[in-house]
Amino acid sequence: MKGTLKEVAVVVTIIAGAVIFSGLVESGSVRDSIIRLCGVGLFALSLNLLVGYTGLLSFGHAMFFGLGAYTFAILLRTTGFGIPLAAACSIALSGAVAAVVGAICVRLTHVYFAFLTLAIQMLFYSLLIACSGLTGGEQGLIGGIPRPKFLGVDLMQPGEYFVFNIAIFVAAAWALWRIVRSPFGAALRMIRDNPQRAVFLGVDVYRTKLAAFVLASAFAAIAGMLTALYVSGAYPNFAFWTMSGEGLFMIMLGGVNGFAGPVVGAGLLLLLDTVVNAYTAHRGLFLGLAILVTSLGLRKGVVDFVRDASDGRFASERTGGRSKERASGAQSGLHEAAIQQSNTEGV
Amino acid sequence: MNGSVSRRSVIAAGVSVGMSGLAPGVFRQAHAESRPIKVGLTSIFSGRVAQLGITTKNGLLLEFEAFNAAGGVGGRTIELVDRDSKGKPEDAARLTRELIESEGCDIIFCGEASGSAFAAHEVARSSRALLMHVISETTQLTADAKLRSWNSFRSARQALHDSIVGGAFAAKIAKEQGLTRWATIAADYAYGREATPEFMGYVESNGAKVELVAESWPKLFQPDYTDSITKILQSRPQALFCGLWGGDLVSFIDQGNLFGLFDNVRVFAIHLADYTTLMSVKQLPAAGAFSSNRYVSVFPSRSENASWSEAYNKRFGSKPTNWSWEACVGARFVIDAIRRTNSAEPAKLAEAIKGMQVAAPVGMRDGKTVMRSEDQTIVDYALGWGRIVPNDPYLVDVQPADWSEVLRLETDWKRRVGFG
Amino acid sequence: MDLSALGICAATSSCIVTQVAAGLISGFLLFLVAAGLTLIFGVLGFVNFMHGSFYMLGAYFAYAAYAATGSYTAAVIAGAAGVGALGAALETSVVRRIYHADVLLQILVCYAFILIFDDLVGIVWGDEFLSMGMPSAFKRAPILLFGGVIPPFYLFLVGIALAIAIGIALLMQKTRYGKIVRALADKPGMVAALGINTQLVYASLFALGAMLAGSAGALAAPVRSMTAGMGFAILIESFIVTVIGGMGSIAGALVAALMIGLVRSFGSIGFPLFTEGLIFVIMIAVLVVRPQGLFGRQVREL
Repeated sequence: MKGTLKEVAVVVTIIAGAVIFSGLVESGSVRDSIIRLCGVGLFALSLNLLVGYTGLLSFGHAMFFGLGAYTFAILLRTTGFGIPLAAACSIALSGAVAAVVGAICVRLTHVYFAFLTLAIQMLFYSLLIACSGLTGGEQGLIGGIPRPKFLGVDLMQPGEYFVFNIAIFVAAAWALWRIVRSPFGAALRMIRDNPQRAVFLGVDVYRTKLAAFVLASAFAAIAGMLTALYVSGAYPNFAFWTMSGEGLFMIMLGGVNGFAGPVVGAGLLLLLDTVVNAYTAHRGLFLGLAILVTSLGLRKGVVDFVRDASDGRFASERTGGRSKERASGAQSGLHEAAIQQSNTEGV
Repeated sequence: MNGSVSRRSVIAAGVSVGMSGLAPGVFRQAHAESRPIKVGLTSIFSGRVAQLGITTKNGLLLEFEAFNAAGGVGGRTIELVDRDSKGKPEDAARLTRELIESEGCDIIFCGEASGSAFAAHEVARSSRALLMHVISETTQLTADAKLRSWNSFRSARQALHDSIVGGAFAAKIAKEQGLTRWATIAADYAYGREATPEFMGYVESNGAKVELVAESWPKLFQPDYTDSITKILQSRPQALFCGLWGGDLVSFIDQGNLFGLFDNVRVFAIHLADYTTLMSVKQLPAAGAFSSNRYVSVFPSRSENASWSEAYNKRFGSKPTNWSWEACVGARFVIDAIRRTNSAEPAKLAEAIKGMQVAAPVGMRDGKTVMRSEDQTIVDYALGWGRIVPNDPYLVDVQPADWSEVLRLETDWKRRVGFG
Repeated sequence: MDLSALGICAATSSCIVTQVAAGLISGFLLFLVAAGLTLIFGVLGFVNFMHGSFYMLGAYFAYAAYAATGSYTAAVIAGAAGVGALGAALETSVVRRIYHADVLLQILVCYAFILIFDDLVGIVWGDEFLSMGMPSAFKRAPILLFGGVIPPFYLFLVGIALAIAIGIALLMQKTRYGKIVRALADKPGMVAALGINTQLVYASLFALGAMLAGSAGALAAPVRSMTAGMGFAILIESFIVTVIGGMGSIAGALVAALMIGLVRSFGSIGFPLFTEGLIFVIMIAVLVVRPQGLFGRQVREL
């Protein structure tokens, strides 16, 4: 109970901080970067519920990012719905679609799960392109998204819009935090680490994974909505596999072992992209080298690395264990062993 | 740096270092009038159509360098900041906003193909910066009154104009040579979907009998056109409308030659007469190819055009493209407006550009091109169709457009589709 | 959707011949790329996301060699050998170190190489699209068969691809090398225990896979306009082929690649807007019903 109060205090403080911040800082660019980070950061966080906590390597998460964005944008444009109602409908639709897709996908494990989610996402992408009457096809939804006032909030005001983004992001992140700290979250980690044990302890592995899939998709839909509002439109690329790939990249960059890792990864990627883009025409070369150095050099996410390095004893224990693993030809890496296990047991 | 750095901007700068590495943008706010006029460009600088971004940027640079060499206006020179959108609409929107907000660009050149151009257009509409579309030819961008805003202009040609002139030209040849069976191919995106029916509609309305036997819609930047080619072959057309451009057009022609696609088919390819495309195609269609004047230095055959082409070639070591002149014209409108108003204030510039005439290599009204004030897009630019020959000058027997006729038909069209 | 057009096509020999030929042509090219991918995937367990870059580099190496020598044969050899050598170098320097790492890390490293290679190609050959042109030996009128049209160059491509397919099948089934590779796919520890230099086998197999993609790029160079990033589309298709055919199965890759080629060529007549969608529907169906792929064995999980 005390923990919850503390968390509420943190959430309130951050939002209050955002209000003060938006009053102090006039620079649109700083605000814009943060707003953008809210969208992609939440996307990466939601994906990590699957990748990091459940051990499900989804390559099709962008489908729900896109579904949320498109549904939200289309509802706001064509119906008289306000933002809360449009958002609720989009989340509900994304969750329902995720339930169907998840029911098919979570039966499979590891690489096969990755490919199946990828394929379904690409099917969804083809449909987005084909149904051009509704979605605008290849060029996406053009003509802007209206931002009607609701509950006294006017998103046309830059300050209020900024605080709105922070509030939604913090609320969603807090909800995700509660989920991974709950008994349900413990069940997810158990499925990741030792599915057999989970079965023995009476966990319905299939249903639990499905529930995680639906939850992650709903949060991805929220991320999609924030992003749709930000760019004032929805585009097929939102649901393309590269978007899913970027999400995985952010998780990898930040690390899967800390709750905030994906957000740090998202921030790092945006920062890298901005800096590299601004100072060189050879973006690919520099970004590629940066990725190579970090991925091969650290062999884990930045947050994981910093945490391990700051706790020297723990770190040496870990690397010691790891090199032993490598010598015996076993899998090393972030949570490969867990995935490996879940596969051989054919959950 | 003059003026003092306020406490606020120090905080802002600190935060921005942490969040986005954009601190320089904040500090720049503190500069006063001596700073250069920052001008933004988003375009495609990587991938299959990198040529689009490069030659667009070159077209702008040539003008800005001349402006700066002449001392600018009131000591202020122009500084170009460019960003690669990779052709993605969401990136185009984001980068446009960043150029305006973080880089402090009051003037944006949008070097984007149709999808991204609409996205950037949206951003500009809710900002106070001036936007010049220099690439997108999609008619709807300026024809649809709902999309217009005070600060958005287009210095690119318009698909409808090409269709009107091309349709009449194609109809004449079709009647002479008895071509009735038509096939079409264009990429499956806004421009392709719009230009194809427009063109074919004008072929028919000019009295040619048209039997449409095949339509093919490959994806944009598709590597392999075999499916489209065999589909077209099956339908045994006599004439083919082709809305592909750049590398897509080159691939299509090279692959089509293998099937003998062009042995008996006359090709009407809007985008063929552009130097880089012409020089990349290994074997031009055998039975005759016709194209709009994308850009050739012989049309219009005026010394200003030839000398601009030469200056470009001298500066960049390659020949200009259609995109280069569109960028050049866009830059000239902006520069002229800066000179006339002695300011870089978007509202003043926009007012000045409306209805403005500038001297341009492709100008057709006494060497000038006009920014029509009602829909803020250009007219009276070089527009004509001709026959392709395999060597310089590449485009011969050019039939120049009669602009009064083009404008009349454009008005009819707008009324017909409800844009009028 | 225009199924009547498909019906009309199915009733005329010229249409069937042309569309089947077109399907086989793109199918065989796709097979060459996918065969390398499926080998690397099936045996080494490495998710080689940079396989499309090998295809791209094959085309560019061929372009350079053709420009220098004017010989198409030299161009193809340069493309295949150059990319093969690059593959061997990459394997020994980087890829070897991440075979056992997380799939995420593997993909990340590949992504980095894709970015680097794309940029390097832009630096060396320029950002503008290039076109190699048809070698004079193939500048002939297309062959007419039952009213259908088949270009001689494509006939040659299919012949070469078929020869390579048979060559790899023989290599894997009949030689000692093939036996070692197949054994490695099942029981890597066992093979190492027998005193075989598994590192060498891994490196050679990775190089072979790269070489196949490089040769596909080189072979196709005369009919594709080249640009940085051209490997992207074929990468995704190759993964689809690998999944449908079964990871590690050469026969599966061949069948799946030809199937995709045919779906695409007939789809363009009957349902042009949903051809891509149909291909993904097939992939989904295969994954749901038979996750190991049409020809894949229920082997150890990757």
